[in-house]
Amino acid sequence: MVVVQRRELTFWERMYLPEIVRGLVITFKKMFEPRVTRQYPEQAMPTTEVTRGQPRLAVKDDGNIACVSCGLCEAACPAYAITIDGQETDRFIEREPERFDIDMLRCILCGFCEEACPKEAIFMSNELELANTTREGLVYDMEQLKRSTSTLQPRIDYVRKINDRW
Amino acid sequence: MTFLILLIKASLIYGGLLVTAAVMTLAERKISARIQLRIGPNRVGPGGVLQPLADGVKFILKEEITPDGANKGIFRLAPIMAAVPAMLTVAVIPFAGETVIFGLDFGLLSLTDLDIGLLFVLALSGLSVYGVILGGWASNSKYSLLGGLRASAQMVSYELSLIMTALTVVALSGSMDLREIVEVQNTGNPLAWNCFTPVIGQVGLILFVIATFAETNRHPFDFAECEPELVGGFHTEYSSMKFALFFLGEYCAMTVMACLTTVLFLGGYSVPFWEDAPWMVELATFMAKTSFFLFLFIWVRWTLPRFRYDQLMNLGWKVFLPIALANLLLAGAFISLT
Ligand code: SF4
Ligand code: SF4
Repeated sequence: MVVVQRRELTFWERMYLPEIVRGLVITFKKMFEPRVTRQYPEQAMPTTEVTRGQPRLAVKDDGNIACVSCGLCEAACPAYAITIDGQETDRFIEREPERFDIDMLRCILCGFCEEACPKEAIFMSNELELANTTREGLVYDMEQLKRSTSTLQPRIDYVRKINDRW
Repeated sequence: MTFLILLIKASLIYGGLLVTAAVMTLAERKISARIQLRIGPNRVGPGGVLQPLADGVKFILKEEITPDGANKGIFRLAPIMAAVPAMLTVAVIPFAGETVIFGLDFGLLSLTDLDIGLLFVLALSGLSVYGVILGGWASNSKYSLLGGLRASAQMVSYELSLIMTALTVVALSGSMDLREIVEVQNTGNPLAWNCFTPVIGQVGLILFVIATFAETNRHPFDFAECEPELVGGFHTEYSSMKFALFFLGEYCAMTVMACLTTVLFLGGYSVPFWEDAPWMVELATFMAKTSFFLFLFIWVRWTLPRFRYDQLMNLGWKVFLPIALANLLLAGAFISLT
């Protein structure tokens, strides 16, 4: 059994009022301290390449995405957020997705798709905002998922650096 | 003509009271934000100054819900009972002396000067307890009932200390007329203010301020709402404009109590070192003094934690009442000596 020894209050403290005044002085001083609020939509949280935002498809310089619709990301996704239908293409890679949907409401931003992808096609962007008035509107199709490689470049470099360790 | 002047005065004073209450809701949020290093509402209008308006619109547009099993009539009556007494009391508060606006003689700036102004204020503010307890009872909810019961027990016990302390002032100035009380203190010398009467004044001021906190159900004595235990206390079941009325009543009561403290202890509208100041200066002085007490209401709320209920009762009956009585006795001795 633990007996907690409470400190005996001094007479001054038991008078209560002086202590209240002390508390009031503290709160009064607080009023003139710098404020810590971040005004969110105007002052967004800074992001870095480590930020794991929503997955996006990187568009290469030739205007295509690197995805070969192998389905690895689809299989790796623990939330079943990705749906891919493949089709043939005349390009050298022979296969490309006909449909590439990610249900952003299902996605848990785990980054497994990025890890699973053998073609460096899908990356976690720094986009974090997600709002719509319908659920359907938050199922992003291929066009909505495409981002230029340059915007994803810091993340791409970061992922390569990590992969180099293996 | 007299009737017209009375009408203008009434609309000015009541407009002023309601505006003060609205400003107080904003000030409450702004100051609490500052104390907690936040910014507070700042989206509606420049710096958030139109927030009370937005709140008002929202209150009006909200759905009004009357719970099943509530006593409909009393449920409707309670918010009115809570708000009206608080608003009525402002009628006897003297805001300034002889007032002339645009050549129009308004007489003394207060709605009416009753011989028993102080009694009127105390009696009416005692009535506001009905709003709280009826609201709690009529809601047919255990939390509301508990909140209402607590509030009424608390208001009744603190009213005693409040009245005793007010009596001290009555003894010192020899009148129950609030304007008389101010005029006695208005000598151009701030040391004539009741709060500077040795010992009696200071003890009285502190007791009175604390009692007003309990009387208006403000922190640290807000057992009527006490969110962690009672959800929202007596107004748990209230929504929309009915809830707003309770709120308005609370802020009006605060404003009136701040005015009353100013009148009783800080010389009301008397300007330091300027006995016959023009009415504008007097009004400004009165407002400045009252603002301090209004600020104190908010400041204390965001500093102190809530009392425990038994502590509150202990404090009220075993500490405040004896001190208030002793103070009254002391005041009697003081008067007979001088
Ligand atoms: S981040 Fe995770 S949950 Fe989201 S799509 Fe990729 S694998 Fe699925
Ligand atoms: S793992 Fe990469 S290449 Fe395979 S389907 Fe997903 S995005 Fe396309």
